[in-house]
Order: sequence, then C-alpha cells, then structure tokens
Amino acid sequence: MEQLLVPMMCKIDKVIQETPDIRTYRLKFKEEGLMEKFDYKPGQFVELSLLGAGECTFCISSSVTRKGYFDCSIKRAGNVTSDIHNSLEEGDEVGIRGPFGNWFPLEELKGKNLLIVGGGIGLAPLRSLIQYCIDNRNDYKDFTILYGSRTSADLCYKEETKEWQDNKSLNVILTIDKAEETWTSNVGVVPKILEEVVKPVIENTKVITCGPPIMIKYTIQSLKKLGFADKDIITTLEMKMQCGLGKCGRCNIGSTYVCKDGPVFTNEQLKNLPDEF
Amino acid sequence: MNVEIFVTDKAGLQKFYEAIIAKNETYAPVEKFGKFDFKHVSSLSECDPDSPIEKTMSAKPLFFPRSAKILKYTADSSGTTVKETDEDPLAGKRVILGMKHCDARGLQVLDKVYNWDYIDSDYQKRRQNTVVISTRCDKAGTHCFCTSLDYDVQNLDAMDVLIVKGQDGKIFIKARTEKGEDFLKSNPIDSANSKQHPASEEEMKKQYDAFAASFRLKMNYKEINENLSKIFDTPEFENVSSNCIGCNTCAFICPTCHCFKISDEKIKDSGVRYKCYDSCNNGYFTLMAGGHNPRPAKYRRWRQRAMHKFVYYKERFGENLCVGCGRCTISCPVNISIFEVVNQVAKSEK
Amino acid sequence: MDYTKQIQEIVAKLFAEDKIDVFAGYRMTGFDENQVPVLIQSSGEVSRLVFNDKSVFNLCNYLKYDHTRNKRVGLVVKGCDSRSLNLLLTEGQVKRERLYIVGIACDGVVDEQGNKMQNCEECMFPDALVYDELLGTQHPEGKYKVNSDIKELASKGLVERRAYFEEIFESCIRCNACRHSCPLCYCTKCCIDQETSKLYNGANNTSSAFHALMTWSLHLAGRCVDCRNCEKACPSHLPLHLLHKWNERVIYENFQEHLSGVKEGDRGAFYKYSLQDPDDFIM
Repeated sequence: MEQLLVPMMCKIDKVIQETPDIRTYRLKFKEEGLMEKFDYKPGQFVELSLLGAGECTFCISSSVTRKGYFDCSIKRAGNVTSDIHNSLEEGDEVGIRGPFGNWFPLEELKGKNLLIVGGGIGLAPLRSLIQYCIDNRNDYKDFTILYGSRTSADLCYKEETKEWQDNKSLNVILTIDKAEETWTSNVGVVPKILEEVVKPVIENTKVITCGPPIMIKYTIQSLKKLGFADKDIITTLEMKMQCGLGKCGRCNIGSTYVCKDGPVFTNEQLKNLPDEF
Repeated sequence: MNVEIFVTDKAGLQKFYEAIIAKNETYAPVEKFGKFDFKHVSSLSECDPDSPIEKTMSAKPLFFPRSAKILKYTADSSGTTVKETDEDPLAGKRVILGMKHCDARGLQVLDKVYNWDYIDSDYQKRRQNTVVISTRCDKAGTHCFCTSLDYDVQNLDAMDVLIVKGQDGKIFIKARTEKGEDFLKSNPIDSANSKQHPASEEEMKKQYDAFAASFRLKMNYKEINENLSKIFDTPEFENVSSNCIGCNTCAFICPTCHCFKISDEKIKDSGVRYKCYDSCNNGYFTLMAGGHNPRPAKYRRWRQRAMHKFVYYKERFGENLCVGCGRCTISCPVNISIFEVVNQVAKSEK
Repeated sequence: MDYTKQIQEIVAKLFAEDKIDVFAGYRMTGFDENQVPVLIQSSGEVSRLVFNDKSVFNLCNYLKYDHTRNKRVGLVVKGCDSRSLNLLLTEGQVKRERLYIVGIACDGVVDEQGNKMQNCEECMFPDALVYDELLGTQHPEGKYKVNSDIKELASKGLVERRAYFEEIFESCIRCNACRHSCPLCYCTKCCIDQETSKLYNGANNTSSAFHALMTWSLHLAGRCVDCRNCEKACPSHLPLHLLHKWNERVIYENFQEHLSGVKEGDRGAFYKYSLQDPDDFIM
C-alpha cells in the first residue's frame, strides 16, 4: 500500500493566473518517458502533493489529446491550496499520483448533442471534456457550452473561452450573476439562463454539469423542468478524498466509493445514493 | 479436512508456548497500565496469551500499523528527491500468540477491502508471513456479541492454529490451515503429553456451547441489517448520538476500522509522510477545502459509522464490518454501546 | 451518595416552569452499574436520570457541542466539574444566564472497580463552587498537598523524568480522545489535531506523542481542574494526570498559590502577566 501512496515528481511548466483566486498549473513529469505513458480520460483526477504540506485531490483540467503536459486548476480554498498558491512558482516541483476514478462516458456521448453547463471552478473537469470533444469534433453533434460565474473577473480560462466563442462549430454562452458596466453578454444565474436563453433540445442530448453544490442542485431542477431524463444528466461529484485507491474510506457515500465508482455519476445514480454529498 | 487434534494440559501448553517464543519471532499481549497490547516478546513471562478480551487491544496494528511511513523526501537546489522508506513492512515470518477470535474475524473482513481493486501488498505480505495462534475465550465479556453476527465463531480461516481449553484441564490444539499444519510440524507439541483423540472434536464443541451460553448480548443480526438499510433518515440517530463527544477512540481501537489519513512532517527542507489512523467520527473527516462538509453534524457521522459497519460494507463486500468484540463500548469515555445503538435505531420507524 | 430523587424532582420542576431546554445528567447503562451521560430534552425523560458515586464524567464537556449551544442548559456539577465550569464562564465560553446549575457537595466518586478515585481522595474542593441549588452536606475546604506520585517525579532528575514520560507516551495511540474529553479543550482548531495544525504529525511514535501531549498539557497548565476525564477516556490507560498534576504543582509554587477555577472571574495563571513572575522553573 505504502508504495501506491508514493507520488511521482512533476515540474511546474507554467502558472496561469485565471482569476484572483484560481491558478492553472501546467505540469510535466520529471522522469523521462513518464509523460508519454501518462494516459487519462476527461473527468479523472489526480492526487497532487506539496511535500511537507499534504495531499489534495484535483481533477485534470486538460485533455490527453493535447500532448506533452497536463493542467490542474486550483482554487485557493483550504490549507494545502493556500500553501500551493503561496509557495509554488514555475520550475518548482510537486508530487502527482494518478490518474484515479472513472471518466465521462465518452463512448455513450458519441453521436449525441452535448450540453455542457459549468459554474466557477466547476469548468475545470468540463474543460478536459471540451478539449477532448473539440479534438474529436466529428464524433459529436451540436455542442453547446453554458458557463457562468459570480462576476466577470471570476470567469476561468478567459482566453480559451474566447477561442471557443470564435469556433464556429461551438455554441458558447457566458453569464455572470450580477450586471457589470463593461459586461455585454448575459446576466443571471446559470439555471435561469439555461431555461430562458439556451432552451436546449432534449432529444438525443446529454447534459454534463459541474459547479458549486448549490448551482448543481438548481441546474438539475431546471433540467428536469425542461424535460431531461435522469440518465441523460451527468455530473461529477466533489468529495473529500485521500488515497484515491478505494481504501481510506473518506469518500464513502453509502456503499459507493466516489474515488472508484465516481467521481462521474448520472443523476439516476445520484438519486439512489444517501444524501451525503 | 481430517486434522489431528492434539490434547495436552496446562504444562504442555506452557512448554508449547515457550518453544514457539524461543524459536520464532513472536508477538503476544503485553500488559502496560492494565491494558494489553500486542508486542514483540522474548519470553513467556513477559506476556499473557490468555489476556481477558476487555483489557486487550486488537491485533489489527500488526497488520495495519497505527502509522506507517510512506516516504521520505529531501529538497535542495537541484530539486526534490523522494525516497521510499527503507522500513521493511515485514522481513521474516512471525507468530502471534493469544489472538482473539474476533480479531481473527477482523482480519478476514479487512482482507476484502485490501484485496479489491488496488491490492495492498504490504498488508498481504504481513498476512502471508504470519501464523495466527488463537485461543478461544472461556467466557463472553460484558460487551461481547460475536456469536450474534453473520459469522461462525468456531470456523475462521484467519486462525492457523486453534487452542481450546476444555474440561478437566484438557487443552486441545488443532491446525486449521495448511500454514498451521506446517507450523505444528516444525513446532511440535510436547509428545509426552499429546496424542490423537477422536472424541476431542466433541469436547471442543462442548466448550463452545458453554461459551456461547455465557453471552449477555444477543441480537437478531438479519433483522437489524434489513431494518437499518431502510431507515437512513430516522431521527433516532440524533437521539442515540447526542451524548457522543466525538473523541474517535472507538475507531482507533476497532479491529476492523480501516480509514486512514495522510500526515506530513516537515523539518526545514526534508520531511516524512505518514499514513495514520483516522475516524469518520472526526468532524474534519469529510470537510473539504472551501468549507463544504457532507457530514457536518455529529448524528450524520454516527450514522455513517453505524451504517458502514452494519449495512454498507455488507452491501459492498458481503461481510459485516462489526465483529462484535465490544471494544468500542469498553473504551468509550461515556459508555456508549454500539450494540444498544444499532438495536435502538433498528427498532425505530422512519 | 445518591441524589437521584432530588435531581429528578428539580429537573421535572425546571421543565414544568420552562426554565431550561435541555438537561445534562446521567443515566444507567441498563446492563451494569456504570452510567452514561444523557441529554434530556423533555420532562417525560426525567425518570431516566440518576446520580450517585458512579456519576463520574464531567458534564461541562457537553457545553461545547451543538446540542447545548445557544440553549438554556441545566446540568449537574460536582466540585471538580464546577471548577471547570468556573473557568468556562471566566473565559467567556458559556453565559451564566443560560445555565441552571445543580451543584453537588460530593463525597467522591468511584471507578469501574468500585474503588474511590485517586483525585477524590486528594480533592480540595469537593463541593460545587458555582450553583443555583446545592445538594448534600458541605465539606470543609481541603489543603493543597503534593501527592506521592508527583513527589516521586520531583525526586527524579530532568533526564530521568523525561525518560519516564517517554515510557508512558510509548503506549499512546494518538487518538486524541484526551483532548476531546477535556471540558476545557473547546478550541475548534487544536494544535494537536493534524487536520487543523501542521505542528505535529499523526504518527504513532513516541516523539510525536511526546510533543503533542506535552503541548496539550501546557495549554492546560494553570487551567486543569483534575477531573480526570482525559485519563478515563484514554484507551491505553495512560496516567495522564501526572502531566497535569506536575504542572499544577509548578503553578501553585510559583504563581501565588494559584489553583484553577476556584473563583469565578479568576483567570488562569498564564493569563496574568507581571514582571515579578518567576521564570527560573523554565527548563
């Protein structure tokens, strides 16, 4: 067991300040050949450790189709994440274990319309899927991205969302909670925009959503109101994890291990879990 | 399996133990401050293989240590070097004397979680290299309820050698596994006092019946398991947990609790990372960075503990996670009894 | 010492007059002579309450949990418990207005084997010091005495003493039950919890246990009231009182014979700073 808990060292290639409290760390394995072998799917997560401070769970926010690196987007929230923000610069080293967990049902999504609904830092795991789908664009039909945050400054991946907006094969809708002087796009919380602006097609559509717990809750309510079936609503859960190996018991929800059976669940599966997430 | 049953007496058993300790790396209950914990021993006088269940810690730490070093690291200008610790989890073979039946059951239960998906090789290595010699209790402890659960106390695969104290000072020794048979071949029981005995099985059964009759606590396991799985939302959990002080002792001394945390130690530019016990009764257990906690209230944590033991683990791995040793009740500073709790909750309506 | 009937009457009256929302007392376990602390929320449950010489646990511990927060709480306190309650009041952890205190003039409690507890034998303040109602006959106030354990410790040299404590801490399993059971450990973030502090790791080795427990005991120096909740909570039966008693002696001898929690408003020795404070006992 102890060997499975030993991380591999990665070098920080680049630090991107996304918002005042979110940074994206672009990582590369130090050991030669490891980066090429590091195979992961959108939705999976890694255990990132700052030696001496501790280990934290982060989803991978880039796609394996972009070679040579992988990204972790980290929001300053707790002890370890504050340490990461305070002490890590380009060229520093972190430990990585992973990838762990299940992934978005890529095969099932093929030939379907995709509706991606994200809020705040919740876009991070979705970005991995978006990049993956853009790189395999022909496999999917209509592709809509709805992304919202509290203020325009809190929107993640600003340059990349601009690229997505310029991409003719994508329909990208951005929103912020409260009106701002310079903001010309939508204003309103995500579920409201979803119902009033996006008005998605229900037939042959899969919805993938991630965001703060409260946003997910109301988004799912709106989706149900619009007529989506539980099995077509896919979300990824945030849960405290430690080992990622299905041993430490931290991520148990009922008899489910989020680190093994999740973090990606359909709403159908979530409905059968005890209300503890 | 037709296995020899050796019959001996107290003196013969004493000699058997002494020979084992002289020849093998042996672990046995050693008393300190009135509590027995399994430690390495070099003579029989140091330990008591017949220590009472109420005062004996479980043998789990010999397989799943209370803390284990994961790695050491040093950082300098050229970068960080991570070294796996040089500590060998278990170099050679070893013997455990005086392990209780409930602890042996605990190992069988733990095997499930350690052997699914990622396999915990250290745990496996410790299991394979250990010969478990288990003595059956004479009498049930005040808080014991092992006979009421979903397993047969007489037949546990984790016990390699079984010792039963019958009537008239007769002591029966029987190998239960191949490992145990080999062990008895290389550590023979004093031949002057031992012989084959066809009626022994009967007498061992008799001892078990007397032992089983001494239980104060009895429950209908099946009913409790079924009822609990239906009443997740019962307010009764709030009542039964109101006097819990959240001290985590129950999990630390439990023979089956296996949750752990990872804890770092940093001294300037180097450090050590440990894997240490943790408990779901700890308020920080599921607290996420950013402040969201799926189990913020004490009753939710208690529910997790009770349900994990009596429902969830059974659903997932087919075994009950509680072995009925009563150690949590004995160690609880406010005398909360898990037996009482699950019985009370199972009776409640949703 | 059995005040079961009196307490039941008092609590029934308190609920009838709507003076409290919850009452912290003791009930029988139901299968042996030991008792379980119980939080009673209605007059219907009053008959479960008992109080006798097996009522050991210091109930002030419950004042730090959600079940009693911002509620009107009634509770039973013995002499030692009342000292910790005094400290909680002084340190602003509970408001006197929301408490109804049933004080006991305590004749001493017994352990599970039925022997009188060591701290009761040496108790200086057996009677509750703060109360709304006092049960039992009052005892004369005792005199401060250094007990034999501490005398023996004091006769040892520094190195020897350290070795002695290390020997004790070798059996610590790092469950932190001692801290959780202490009525005076109300910090929501504790320096010996690995989740909230980076000072100590959770490793089960003597050096980690030594440093964590030493720090913990220093945070209780001049505050510990010798109720022995920690010692009763310890699954390894460590004699934790030695740490606290040792500190108590040092404080008593060096800080104007300070004893914690004896008067309401009297803060711990380390809260008051004066240039005249001795420092030669350090190291």
